[in-house]
Amino acid sequence: MFSKTSILFGTLMTFCLFVNAEEMEVVGNVESKCVVTPDTAGVYGNPTPDVLSSDPTDGGVDPVVRFDVIQASLYKARISHPISFSEAPTLNDTVVWTGDTATSQVSDTSMSGYDAAKVEFDNVTEFSLTVAGSTWFKTETQADYGYGKAFPGGVYRAVVSAECIAI
Amino acid sequence: MYRYLIILMLWASGHVCAHEFTPTYPELKPSYVAGVLSATMTLFNARDDVEYYEFGVFDAEWNKVPFAIQNKIMRFKHLEKKKVDIYIREKDSKDAVYICSKSKLLVDGGSKTSIISRICSKIK
Repeated sequence: MFSKTSILFGTLMTFCLFVNAEEMEVVGNVESKCVVTPDTAGVYGNPTPDVLSSDPTDGGVDPVVRFDVIQASLYKARISHPISFSEAPTLNDTVVWTGDTATSQVSDTSMSGYDAAKVEFDNVTEFSLTVAGSTWFKTETQADYGYGKAFPGGVYRAVVSAECIAI
Repeated sequence: MYRYLIILMLWASGHVCAHEFTPTYPELKPSYVAGVLSATMTLFNARDDVEYYEFGVFDAEWNKVPFAIQNKIMRFKHLEKKKVDIYIREKDSKDAVYICSKSKLLVDGGSKTSIISRICSKIK
């Protein structure tokens, strides 16, 4: 039915198809970087008329920010808790601010030493990111108004600053 | 099943609201203008709550160092990645240590966030 020539030709064509197959490569580049991801937006609770607090026991939500570093010991995290409102009704008395930043979750158990090694000054807390991976930092913040005065009604906003600085 | 769900959540969270600024250690190279050095930085805005970023150059004590850029505050749409050229005079380059990008919140309080992110790279 088929001549030897046509069988040979068909075989050669099939072989050519295989020989001509393209080679594809996938190229990747892992570079050191720090990624800052706001994880949870904070909410102020108002447990007493003169206090705004992000503490969950006061009805608030602590803001959480995640730092991802690809390589260890190249970055430090610097987190500042607020010392003023970015938006608030007119306030006639002083506001006393307190705050604290700590790790809330880690992707590697060797990050457990971050809290003991943290450096605090003014409203700033610094952590050396000595382990590659993700770290979640929680900032607790509280504002006390005047001396037993009630905060005026309105919307209050304050900003947490999360910085990742190359060492 | 749960493993895939966790991976999906991590992927989603990493791609929805993150701020990336690379390289970590940029190098200042001669630009097309004599006496001016430049570094090319890349910013990836995966924060869906922020559209504007401010750039700055600082010395070791965090004092501002003069520099030039297309716009000091630039708009990055969600999931947009752009290269940004920073120009520093050769005489100022000895002082320059950090190149930083900082997310900007809307003044009218319309921002959905209460977190400012800032990433600083260190000049080689």
